[in-house]
Amino acid sequence: MIGPDLRVEGFDAESWTHLVGIFMPNLEDRLSREPPSSDADVSLDPDDGGRARGTLILVDDAERRILMARHSMEGTLPGLVGESSARDLRDLTAAQGARRVVVIREGALDGLADALADGLAHEPPSARSGYVTQWLVLLRAVRQMVEHGELRVWPNPLASVPVPSNRMVQRTFDQVLPDDRALVVALFDRDEPYTSLVVRRRHGLIDLVAGPDLITTWTGPLGGDWRRDHRILNRAVERHVAPVHLGLFAEVDAVREALRSGEPGEWARQVTVRDMVIDPMPRSVKVALGADAIRGLSHITSDLLGGFDLVRAAGPVLDRVRSRWTEIRSLSEELGFDPFIVLAALLRRDDD
Amino acid sequence: MRSSPPVRVTLEGASLRLDADRTLPLRSGAMHYWRLAPERWRDGLRALKAMGVPMVETYAPWGVHEPEPGQWDFGQRDPRKDLGRFLDVAAEEGLEAFVRPGPHINAELTYFGLPAHIVHDPAIQARSPSGRPVILVFPPRMFPVPSHASQAYHRATRHWFEQVGAVLAPRLKPRGGNVVLLQVDNEVGYFFRNGPFCQDYHEDALVRWIEHLERTHGSLEATRAAHEADYTTWADALPPKRFGEGIHGEVPGPGELTLQLDWAAFQEELLTWAIGTMAEGMKDAGLDGVPTIHNVSLGEQGLQANVPKLGEHVDLVGLDYYHPAREHRAIKRRTLYLDGTTGAAYAPELGIGAPPWFTPLAHEDSLYTALCGLAYGLRGYNHYMAVDRDRWYGAAIDSKGRARREADDWGRLNRALDATAFHTLRRVARVALMIPREYARYARQTHVLGPLSPSTMEAIGGTPVDGCRGDDLGFDRPIQLRWWQDLARLAQALTAAGVPYRYVDSDAPIERLDAHALLVAPSYTFADPARWERLATTRAEVITGPVAPSRDLTFRDHAFEPVGETLDLGDDVQVQAAIHSWVERFELRRPSPVAPPLETSLHEGPDGDRVLFVLNPTTEPRTAKVSLTRPTAAVDQLSGERFEGERELEMTMRAQTIRMLALEVSS
Repeated sequence: MIGPDLRVEGFDAESWTHLVGIFMPNLEDRLSREPPSSDADVSLDPDDGGRARGTLILVDDAERRILMARHSMEGTLPGLVGESSARDLRDLTAAQGARRVVVIREGALDGLADALADGLAHEPPSARSGYVTQWLVLLRAVRQMVEHGELRVWPNPLASVPVPSNRMVQRTFDQVLPDDRALVVALFDRDEPYTSLVVRRRHGLIDLVAGPDLITTWTGPLGGDWRRDHRILNRAVERHVAPVHLGLFAEVDAVREALRSGEPGEWARQVTVRDMVIDPMPRSVKVALGADAIRGLSHITSDLLGGFDLVRAAGPVLDRVRSRWTEIRSLSEELGFDPFIVLAALLRRDDD
Repeated sequence: MRSSPPVRVTLEGASLRLDADRTLPLRSGAMHYWRLAPERWRDGLRALKAMGVPMVETYAPWGVHEPEPGQWDFGQRDPRKDLGRFLDVAAEEGLEAFVRPGPHINAELTYFGLPAHIVHDPAIQARSPSGRPVILVFPPRMFPVPSHASQAYHRATRHWFEQVGAVLAPRLKPRGGNVVLLQVDNEVGYFFRNGPFCQDYHEDALVRWIEHLERTHGSLEATRAAHEADYTTWADALPPKRFGEGIHGEVPGPGELTLQLDWAAFQEELLTWAIGTMAEGMKDAGLDGVPTIHNVSLGEQGLQANVPKLGEHVDLVGLDYYHPAREHRAIKRRTLYLDGTTGAAYAPELGIGAPPWFTPLAHEDSLYTALCGLAYGLRGYNHYMAVDRDRWYGAAIDSKGRARREADDWGRLNRALDATAFHTLRRVARVALMIPREYARYARQTHVLGPLSPSTMEAIGGTPVDGCRGDDLGFDRPIQLRWWQDLARLAQALTAAGVPYRYVDSDAPIERLDAHALLVAPSYTFADPARWERLATTRAEVITGPVAPSRDLTFRDHAFEPVGETLDLGDDVQVQAAIHSWVERFELRRPSPVAPPLETSLHEGPDGDRVLFVLNPTTEPRTAKVSLTRPTAAVDQLSGERFEGERELEMTMRAQTIRMLALEVSS
């Protein structure tokens, strides 16, 4: 997906930080953390009142004797060194006040590097395969490590999720951004430009990620009534970059809420109340939004708690999609996953 | 009558001497000509000059100038690639130039700026213990990294230097041009694959490994004895592929430990040799007569790069700085190491913005990093990036040559450095803490996270010992952890006591050791006899500890002559009492103290105290009350605020901010 000739340009520090902050919910906390109290053994945060947090990282040998033990936020754990790692990882995690644990067999990461070299060895120098395809090779090697017991993780996020095939990734990508098309995102904070982004795909791979400085040279200053002006931006992108396949224009808080809520119907609601404008809206997004609205409706009808406004808000969208249920099902089958559920799961992370 | 041109540009501390009458502070701003339309060059250069720097810096990317084997383009086909024209435009705008022709440059370029045919040449690729290529996982494309030992790589590099040298050599200052500074290669290391057993097992590296063993031990027989191995020929003396291979749950013996330390030392030596070879290649291509530098990446204490040894092949070695404000201690530690080890702390890359691949840095982070570095002794820097480009965010000047609002802050800072002649000042510190290479090497070899190397752990905000084994491996304590922890605790205690200090590398020139009244050198069960000799030679008073060593680097008994007092560095009570006694015994000055966790750092010139930094590294606003020994007035060089006091300067400090105060001391 990402090409070797990728250009990323036109961001100042603020617009870039804003953009990344949308997708990295804990960014602000991480940047504003107190400096470690000592260089001796970095502890990121003072004790947080016994709340489970962070990751326990252990390295063991072939006899499952722990050689190295660290808590990602509290530093070294000398008491675990020499102990056996052959125990229930859930109990181990709880005992150390962590939220997750990773146990790595000594030397396994070097083996992983060799597996990656093998996986890429068949790739001719001129191959146009992108960075994401290369990452899939690495992920498959990680999966093998897990299967061989050289990497143990609790909770295991990979347990029920297969590493996607190149074809599945490609199909998803084709739905989101077909070749020779652009994707536009412009976010506003009470009508002031917050950050913006244009992504272009060419020859099958993303070759341009443009930020506000560059976009402004195409459009002139953004601002004012974005619910109306977004058409100007789209036309400018079409002139300078490529026809726009998908445009997302929104108040930044609306996007944050939709990305993180995980509530069924949230995306559909934001679009319906016009805190978010999607223009143009490709078929796959219409279908996905319909699916989201239907999920929201079924959630409400099964729960009956405080959902009346949402039903009303989502009504117009639901009317449009009710007749397209077959398409909705086919989208999920096509992609192999529900995009909103995956997004929410990825983005709803806690502070660590 | 016109004076004859100088034979060469030279480095004087953190200044470049251009001729008998003119010096230049070592400050520049980065701008990448090939990434910008030529019609934008002049605007960018003017904006850069207006930001207060006298030099423009640029890489020269081999892969851009040789897109296909043997097809060179220095502007003949693509005007963006006209390096010579770019330098000439810079000269027309009154800017000197600092050029970094690699061969490796990174610069967020695919293949780190190397041509595709170079990285895909099997004869050039570095090798893992199993003989496979070593892949760097880095956007926008993973690729096999070159071997620093590969003769084919060095031959190709010499050819590149000849090509780029034809453009650069006529533009060197001594020949009438504006190029006053050159860099040899870039961020030397094993291309971020710096785990102890990641590489390099290339056949040319193995030849050098055998030579290293012969130099270290003297003969095959001696090597066999040191490694407790049954080598019959040198070909049997293979490098280790992991720590304690074949030892199951038992303590490694002297032979295994010696082999490991030999490998760690060899990995440093190979990098040093590679830089030396490249430096020679540049000279042979006519790139001579101006100083050369090298930049070491983040995570230098966990890296196989040996800063003092690199300094034998280039005129100055610096460190690159990209930090969030919360990494205050890392910024401070790194600068104190540079100041103590090189004598002229310089940042070849002081981040303004960053690549888009990592956790974002705000403008405030970049500014904090710069001021913290300056506070602890940084004397020169290269703003990287001054002018925007692709695969970057947050440069001070956009790609159209327009100053962003951040450029105002950088302009004020540069003008303040000029106004105070900051590059000529010095931060007085009479205490040095030695970083002993043998323990750093030992720690690297006991690192068990493989490619998530000690250097990586340090670079992401941890320490170089975070991934080390935690057991004692048969010694009285886990030395691989304790050397770092003991030094860090001592540094913390000195900071709390208001006693300025520096770090000095154990391989630093002896005059760097001699520059201090007191040298604290950690020592454990084993130690390097050569280091001990240097401790016995230095004019500084030496304190060792926590224990006197009894074994050498082959882990055999060795009679170390006492070189000074022994202090248990692991005992906080003893350490604090010792610091208290040192203050009187060595007449250590505690300049302008302030209540912790605030810090101060004082810089003096020939005529007395000149600049005082007041630092608030915490996330809370604070009031600083700086103690004075005489009435003083001070002007904040960035905000313009003025403070006066008889016995105390009082000022508010916003969270994670630093004030740079020019002092006006009343007589």
